[in-house]
Amino acid sequence: MMSTDVALQQAESLLAGLGKGTAKPEPNRLDVVIEASDLIAATTALRGARWGYLATLTGVDLGKEANQIEALYHLCEGDAIVTLRVRVPRAGGAVPSVYALHPNAMFFERELMEMFGVTVTGLSDTSHFFLPDGWPDGTYPLLKDTDVQAAAKQVKGSEPPEPGRQGDRFIVPVGPQHPALKEPGHFEFAVDGELVTGATVRLGYVHRGIERACEQQNYTQNLYLTERVCGICSHSHANAYVNGVEKLAGVQATPRAQAIRQLVACLERIHSHYLWLGVAAYEAGFETLLMYSWRDREIVMDVLEQMTGNRVNYSASVLGGVKFDVTSAHAQAIRHGMDKIEERTRHYLHVVTSDTSFLSRARGIGVTSKEEADAMGLLGPTLRAAGVTRDVRVDAPYGSYKQFPVKAVVDSAGDLAARFKVRMEEALESVRVIRTILDGLPEGDLTVKMPRKIPAGETISRFEAPRGELFYYIKSNGTDKPERVKIRTPSICNWIFVLKKAVGAQMADVPPLLAGIDPCFSCNDRTIVINRPRHGRQVLTWEELRRQAITHTRR
Amino acid sequence: MSVQADSIWSEALEKIKTWARVNSPWILHYNSGSCNGCDIEIVATITPRYDLERFGIKLQGSPRHADVLICTGPVTLQSRDRLKRIYEQMPDPKFVVAVGSCATSGGVFQGCYSVVGHIDEVIPVNAYIPGCPPRPEAIIDGVVKLLTSLLPAKAKK
Repeated sequence: MMSTDVALQQAESLLAGLGKGTAKPEPNRLDVVIEASDLIAATTALRGARWGYLATLTGVDLGKEANQIEALYHLCEGDAIVTLRVRVPRAGGAVPSVYALHPNAMFFERELMEMFGVTVTGLSDTSHFFLPDGWPDGTYPLLKDTDVQAAAKQVKGSEPPEPGRQGDRFIVPVGPQHPALKEPGHFEFAVDGELVTGATVRLGYVHRGIERACEQQNYTQNLYLTERVCGICSHSHANAYVNGVEKLAGVQATPRAQAIRQLVACLERIHSHYLWLGVAAYEAGFETLLMYSWRDREIVMDVLEQMTGNRVNYSASVLGGVKFDVTSAHAQAIRHGMDKIEERTRHYLHVVTSDTSFLSRARGIGVTSKEEADAMGLLGPTLRAAGVTRDVRVDAPYGSYKQFPVKAVVDSAGDLAARFKVRMEEALESVRVIRTILDGLPEGDLTVKMPRKIPAGETISRFEAPRGELFYYIKSNGTDKPERVKIRTPSICNWIFVLKKAVGAQMADVPPLLAGIDPCFSCNDRTIVINRPRHGRQVLTWEELRRQAITHTRR
Repeated sequence: MSVQADSIWSEALEKIKTWARVNSPWILHYNSGSCNGCDIEIVATITPRYDLERFGIKLQGSPRHADVLICTGPVTLQSRDRLKRIYEQMPDPKFVVAVGSCATSGGVFQGCYSVVGHIDEVIPVNAYIPGCPPRPEAIIDGVVKLLTSLLPAKAKK
């Protein structure tokens, strides 16, 4: 991997002639102002040179006086971040779609359309993405002067129509309430026999409007709100937010505080991967593994509770430091717990790599090549299981990750079994890191003083959550409330993978395929995507179907 | 004579029904906008450490088979109608348990534009279990309290 400076220089030369002005707001960032008409040329130049992946697209309302909306396209390569800044008028603004180059842009562009009213030309589906059905037209919740409460009052019924049979196609509806889903989402799978020929997803059942709420509360209140974006990776959200705000304020937490944050993040990764192991195994019909892994997960929960006083939503980080210390009694309890976890993880690693009945459900399911995974913009263990070494903790170490480095776990198989293996090996790696942190925990205070008002500026904070890269964009305006907080969670980037891989799969493989990315609905909030089969509807004769069934089961 | 026999029969039948209801409630879980914190604690209650199933409780999938609806999270605009529909699909007698601060009061999401409010603004609630999220022990305690309240008064301690 090239160094940050080299990467930024390369990006600058690739974009030469297109930019209307460049700036370097932070050492690892390059801002390039471009016209909407040059957007395709700019993204093509970067993508053509294999420079980075599209992390997200942030819309910012610049207010009534400026009468403009700024769309920020964040592309990341290692630690380097290039932001393409496109300004469009507040009314009737339009940008071209970059969907053809970055498939996951579809999600971000639909969000830009419904939240800011910017038209994205060339997008096939322009229906609601985050907002409920029946949200009044022409009301954009993230524009500063929109009366969202009045708009919300106008929303009436929000039920999707019953799909049933469409000609000779049969649609299997799943959710929003379904035994396989712990969280609400509505899926429609068009099936031909056992073969899935089309997949649609409608999320939005958990959309609460957190980004808007962040603009109305002060920085301290927002800490507790961002922590509740997701109850499973709550520390990741709080930590990504805190890192960003501290950068804006020019405050640095003490080494001890940062080490404790990393310690909690490692514990959270283990509990999240154990949780996932159980749920994903359950989807594949392996309920015993759910019971065993959740029993062992309680070891981590006990440790977290002993340290922080809560099993979930631990509130470990505060602005400027951490809330609690790690005493020698805690350290002893953690070491004791980690010995047990290590033993159990090795056992589960053995199970997921050798159990015949398990492998027959996991091997060869949802296979992704390295190139495909990179092009789709996948993140986290799903990406690393396809052989791409991309991990924020390694590429762009934050906090104490320079002092206590982490090894990225990669597997080249790219199937569901590889996703199990990568997550279990990550849990083992976390155990190792926890021990090194406890051995070398720096001395010092837990908190430093944090100003109430944060100086004007903007920053990007990236954090490797258990599910992949978490991306926070925070813009401050000199007051005690942020101007804009953009949260991009890893699950949203991985949805495209499920929809692409579901088409052509057996219906029975869909639940483990879905669980394979570890989707977190409350994180990624709400989506609608329609993925039509790539080669039209596949029609099979009875004989072909029979042969396919035989070859499939012989595997 | 026959009137009296009928009442004895129906009384006995009522007793049997209550006995059956208290000893094997089937539970349906619906997340109407929760952050997942309460949901993972609900799953934790049915796993070996806490083992809610020892009370005859079974977590299952269809509203039409459910006696108790466990709700988590504030109610979002998009899930409001679905929550009502699930409640209406459940056969009588039915009970609703609101788990967590958001389900009982809206929690930190009060005032968010896509949030309607807490569960009892949409459907009637029988038991509230506060906490962010409530511990598995608290969830078990709430469910057991609800079940005990169904027993006839004399059987209560």
